[in-house]
Order: sequence, then C-alpha cells, then structure tokens
Amino acid sequence: MDCTKAREMIQDHIDGRLPPDSARAVREHLGACRACAAEEEELRRVGDMLRLWSAVQVGERELALSPLWTRVRAGIEERKEPGLARLLRRWFWVPVAAIVAVVALLFYPSDGARVPFHPKSFDVTVESLESDTATVALVDKGKGLPRVIWIIENGKT
Amino acid sequence: MGRPDSHPGRRLTAIAFIGLLLIAQIAVASPDAQVAIDVGVVVASQDGPTIDPELSSIRNQLQSMFNYSSYRMIDRLKRTLSVDETGEFGLPGDRSMRVTPVPAKGNKVRLAVQIMEGERNLLTTTLGLSRGGMVIVGGPSYRKGVLILIISAE
Repeated sequence: MDCTKAREMIQDHIDGRLPPDSARAVREHLGACRACAAEEEELRRVGDMLRLWSAVQVGERELALSPLWTRVRAGIEERKEPGLARLLRRWFWVPVAAIVAVVALLFYPSDGARVPFHPKSFDVTVESLESDTATVALVDKGKGLPRVIWIIENGKT
Repeated sequence: MGRPDSHPGRRLTAIAFIGLLLIAQIAVASPDAQVAIDVGVVVASQDGPTIDPELSSIRNQLQSMFNYSSYRMIDRLKRTLSVDETGEFGLPGDRSMRVTPVPAKGNKVRLAVQIMEGERNLLTTTLGLSRGGMVIVGGPSYRKGVLILIISAE
C-alpha cells in the first residue's frame, strides 16, 4: 500500500469503518511509514479534541435546557393523568370555596343576637284593632315617634 | 396587542366562584317573600332609673312616649316567617303573641298580630309597616310594671 492510498483510508481506520483486510493493510503501512503514522496520530488528536469540545457544548446547553425540560416533563406528566382526575384536581377548590362562603354567610352574625334596635321608620298603618277582653287605644304622638297600641286590661291597668 | 391569557382556566374559575357567591348570597338573603320579625320584650316600671343598653337607640322615643323611669329588656325574640306563616312568641305572664305576615305590596310588610293571655284575646290587629319599621304594643301588667313589646319587621 502506498502513502496516498493509506492517507485516504486513515480516517476510516480511526473510525473503525474499514473491513478487516484493509484495516490490517493500513496498520502494516503505518507501522512502516513514520509520516503516515504521524498523520494518523494528528487525526486522532483532532478527533479527541472535537469530541471534548462537543461534550462541553452539550453540557452547557443542558444547563440552559434543564428548567425548560422540567416544565415540558411536568406538562407531559399532567397530560398523562386521566381527564377526570385532572379536572377534579383543577376544580376541587371551587365547591370547597363555595361551601365555605355559604357557611360563612349563614353563620355571619348579620343581625346580632342582642344588638340595639335601629328602626328605619315609624310609619305604621293600623288596619284593624280589636280586643275581646280589654280596651285598646292607638297612640300617635306625631312623626319621629313610634305609634303605640296600648292595651288597657279592664280592672288592671 | 394584548398579552394572551396564559391561564384561561383560572379566569373561568374566578368567574364561577363569584357566581356561586352571588347565588349563595341570594339564597341566604332570602327573597321579599320572607319577613324577619324582631320582638323586644321590655318591662317598664318606676323601679329605678334604668334603661337597658339594647334600648339606647330608641331611648329618646321611649322617654317621650311614656312616663316610666326604668326600661328593662327581659327577652328578645326573632323569627323569620313566610307570608301566611304564623309564628308564635311566648311572652311573660302566660301570654303569647301570634304574628302572621300577610300579602303586601312594594316595600311594605303587613302583619296580623294577636296577643293572648291564656284563652283571653287581648288584642287582634293588622298592621302595615315599611320594611325596617317599628311599632310598639304595650299595656299588659307584669310584676311591678307593664309589658312593652317593640315589634320591628324587616
């Protein structure tokens, strides 16, 4: 094998792509030819450096891609969940919040048990007034004062 | 150009929640068909100058209307009644009061009121009040004074 033929095959030899016979022929030539051996050594070193550089680049990109990948993976996991379970998980708090709100409204002491009276009006119409056993009187002392129905129990008051 | 909503589900959830709150509020507040009756049972007497703090808001009216020195609230009775539903309120001295909201128009409340002493009918009346209005029924004797019923309807 001459040097020209050998140098054409060196890269394939390094990459392990030669058939066994050709690989053996190349190895024999490299053993006999220092120039071609130096060429082979140089190509191997360049290859190693390229692999190292690629590894570094991948490592840096992996750092940047990591959070993105985490989100993507979370999305994939979420999509893997059954539809009903996902719906329940997403909407579970709505009925819970509604129940809490209803309970709060029901038990909120809106009128208080013994709060003072706060009449909005003393405007009263007495449509009928009667008693079987007492005398009743309607007292109206004018605006700003409540109307009073006074029961005069016969023989008592 | 507006930013696309990244969480459309949350917006829907918020709207649904507000809707539920409104429904709950309407359900709890009850429609106009119901009437909240509030009865303050007061004993008025000349037994010392005492005015119950719960009557402080109508103190001036009481003093203008009556000539008693003491007003003690001995009970506060509250019921929410539907139209034509009768609520019975126990009163001191074997007395009782029946209140029935009857149909009314607009912001008015009409109450059929009957006060009994045992089997005796002390009073039968029908009153028309504005919502939040107040009327006083008094006179029956109780211990050293008289009973005064402060009736309000909301």
